[in-house]
Amino acid sequence: METPERWVVLVCVAVRMIVSLSFPQLQQQLDKSVEFSTPFTSYRSLREGVYMLKQGFELYNGGVIHHSPLLVVLMSLIEPEFLVSLLYACLDALIAYQLACIARCFSKSITIPAWIPCLLYSLNPLALLSCVSRSSVIFTNVCISTAVLHALQGNVLVASVAIATAGYLSLYPLLLVFPLFAIFETRSSRVKAAAITSFTVAVLLTLSYTACGNNWAFLDATYGSLVRFDKLFPNLGLWWYFFAEMFDAYVPFFKAVFNIVVVSFIAPLTVRFYRQPCYAFVLCVGWITLTKPYPTLGDAGFLLGFLPLFHPLFGYLRYSALSCLLFLHAVVLSPIFYHLWVDLGSGNSNFFYAITLVYALAIASIVADLCWAMLRFEYDHGKPNYQLKVTQI
Amino acid sequence: MSLIGKLHRRVIDLGLVPKIVAALPLLSMLFAVVSVGWLALLPLEGRYRRTYISENALLPSQAYSYFRETEWNTLRGYRTQIERLANSTSRERNEEVAGWLREFGVKTAIYQDEKHGDTLYGVLHAQRGDGTEAVILAAPWTNADGMVNLSGVSIGIALTRFFSRWPVWSKNIIVVLSENPKGSMRSWVEAYHTSLDLTGGSIEAAVVLDYPGVNDYFDHVEIHYDGLNGEEPNLDLVNIAISITEHEGMKVSLHGVSCDKISDNDFWSRLLIMLTGIKNAALSGLRKVNGNEAFSGWRIQAVTLKAHGTEGRHDVTTFGRIPEAMFRSINNLLEKFHQSFFFYILLAPRYFVSISSYLPCAVTLSISFALASLDAMINNNYKKLPLSSTYNLLSLSMWCISLLGCFGIAQLFLRFDAPTILISFSALISFLPLLLKKKIAEPLAYRLKSVAFLFFSLVLTSLLMVNFFLAFAMGLTAFPMTLVRTSSLNNYSLRIKLKNSILLLLSNPFIASYIFCQCFEPDLPGFTVFTEFATAWKELGCWTWFVICIGWLPSWLMVALSTLNTQPAQLDDRKKKFQ
Repeated sequence: METPERWVVLVCVAVRMIVSLSFPQLQQQLDKSVEFSTPFTSYRSLREGVYMLKQGFELYNGGVIHHSPLLVVLMSLIEPEFLVSLLYACLDALIAYQLACIARCFSKSITIPAWIPCLLYSLNPLALLSCVSRSSVIFTNVCISTAVLHALQGNVLVASVAIATAGYLSLYPLLLVFPLFAIFETRSSRVKAAAITSFTVAVLLTLSYTACGNNWAFLDATYGSLVRFDKLFPNLGLWWYFFAEMFDAYVPFFKAVFNIVVVSFIAPLTVRFYRQPCYAFVLCVGWITLTKPYPTLGDAGFLLGFLPLFHPLFGYLRYSALSCLLFLHAVVLSPIFYHLWVDLGSGNSNFFYAITLVYALAIASIVADLCWAMLRFEYDHGKPNYQLKVTQI
Repeated sequence: MSLIGKLHRRVIDLGLVPKIVAALPLLSMLFAVVSVGWLALLPLEGRYRRTYISENALLPSQAYSYFRETEWNTLRGYRTQIERLANSTSRERNEEVAGWLREFGVKTAIYQDEKHGDTLYGVLHAQRGDGTEAVILAAPWTNADGMVNLSGVSIGIALTRFFSRWPVWSKNIIVVLSENPKGSMRSWVEAYHTSLDLTGGSIEAAVVLDYPGVNDYFDHVEIHYDGLNGEEPNLDLVNIAISITEHEGMKVSLHGVSCDKISDNDFWSRLLIMLTGIKNAALSGLRKVNGNEAFSGWRIQAVTLKAHGTEGRHDVTTFGRIPEAMFRSINNLLEKFHQSFFFYILLAPRYFVSISSYLPCAVTLSISFALASLDAMINNNYKKLPLSSTYNLLSLSMWCISLLGCFGIAQLFLRFDAPTILISFSALISFLPLLLKKKIAEPLAYRLKSVAFLFFSLVLTSLLMVNFFLAFAMGLTAFPMTLVRTSSLNNYSLRIKLKNSILLLLSNPFIASYIFCQCFEPDLPGFTVFTEFATAWKELGCWTWFVICIGWLPSWLMVALSTLNTQPAQLDDRKKKFQ
């Protein structure tokens, strides 16, 4: 680890520990906010799972817990509050460090020093608060960043294991295998990666099966209810309002459609940006953040963490100011509108829904703008010519 | 897409972008003017709507009201008894009155609060309900003006006795006699939802009675409905209060505007009611607290009925018939109040504008600040500075520091009430550029302004749904801030400096709120507004003080800093690398 990065990582851990230790109530408050916590990622339900595990109850009987069994087992090993905070802080610092390492992999094209993306992620309030809220998205995020880093470094084994674990934890990241495999250069390594990934998934599932007392019920409680969107909770995503309004007869059909939407853009993005597989990977992360059933601001913070890596493309962005303003307003207004709806009762669900639409628009405009920027970059053959005006047809 | 492309090309062909960019300061001003103009035109015929009862179940005044002369003697009896209690302590008085309430089957309890004063309350259980919902009849012992609320309390007790003989109630009736309409009532409401043993279910609505003195006759009724922190009761509740009052033959006044003025019903009278309404709502919690404010934040719709005048043709039982008929109406409800508007401005007792009509004012005001921010960002030689230049980072970190500092100031002031120091300090900072010779880099001045206006615009945007009134008042009084000029000359002329200082002085949060209250609010003379900021936060939980300190003061400080003498910076800064 180089000196500036070491400092940044230390800062990252220190900031997170200071915030969690000096505001002990903050964790619970954030865990109750819809922006940082969903039934599938909240720390409350993870704790409930740990309790049930220790009391010897069947984990998925109550329909409250949707975390993966191995995650619950892992958390049951760590008792004291301080250590839990430290674990979360260290995992977030690991993500920050891996971002720096990824930046170093691109040192030819990126002119900024590697510690800048690392620092920006560390100080990103969304990542910070998500870490303090102890949302379990952080485990998935660590796996994803590990996967992309090791794929870039050519380490097939670690990358495949990491992406398999990410998929095991929250299913949708499994889609990222396509852009990830595009990063590997030879066909043999791709075959190897596919084999290792499937093997890891199988092992994790078998381990979970044993951990649950030889019971496959966890499959339905974790992945089944995620894909079926069983818990109709308001969140920042596009799903909940739609299904709250719909006639029952259409619900299964549209749940399938929404899932297909998540899947559908992965392959086209991978194919189109085949020469820039890492870029395709980040775009796919953005797409999943936009369309997954239970997104949190932690996902958005993670996505934003990758953006400094693409700073040579910033000149091509067409509406970066618009995206920034949309994102800023969505993040600021969503708790306010939720408060108007749920606490004061003077607003209604449409208020919060409107803000989730703004949020979705912000993410979508970031992803679309990044697509455009890379296409322009290709058009100019890597030599930026900002004067040239090109329009879409 | 091709349409947008075409439009885009057309805009480029006409060279509109540079023209618009050059006109940004003008545009910002224009948006502010549009905002004020939009508001001023709302009282025009056709821009407002007539109120209507949205919830069909309410049926105001459909049942005959029976609280008439037969009850007059009971009421006067209670009033005489209460007059005799004038010299007794609050505890003796509460126990005596509790005894009367128990006589006709009301379960009573006394909520003890040493800080704000005790509250006696009683629950009359509904014969036809399941006891999960309640309506409140409240009468504080003293009213907003500090007068003894003699008749109000007597009407409250007599009405409860009258209600107890009726088998129609489907919601529990809770009668609340608090020491005052401010802290005591508020702390009771909080205790009701957190710690009290005797409760009667979730409170749907509250009617506060304010009838000071012992006079049998009164002139007209004033209805107060502004809640704390920009909340308003559902328009249906206000509508039934107004409709019942007028149905019983009394005149209604709003926001202290006299009935004669209201009955003019022309543009100016509507404008007056609207503007005083906005002012009162923006200063709600700081000015006189009538009692209905205490119920804000708990999903309770509340109004205060206040009797005005000592002579007139309406007797005290007529006043009692308003809460009677309101209770009959609310009793019909099967759901919470939800049908009608929660965001509205009344222009007359029977005219209102809904949020879709008045929200654009605050939005355009917020946009005007955003444009000012954009102007400070791109309308100078330093537009091309990279995103991560030291000036950007420096201005952002200054924003963080001033935010923390202002939070500290806000907390400190709550402990040490020293308005003169605040004011003189603000005035000193406003004139600092005249006194100080220190120079800051020019790009930093622009960046500071840009961040400050962007932040203020964001504050306004987030506030405008929650508390439109405060957002609008703040936006308007802070607007002079955007006119502050950073001159690109090496030395300012004295005239510009002086102009900047005066603009800063006018847009300072403390000085502006002081001037605003001096001009428009007789309830808050002198420095009382600052004392009220603190007490409103401590007693009522009204966060106007924090909005002003955290939302407005940091921006102002940054703009003030940007008016210091500047020196141009070398543009080759962008070539500087990080290491």
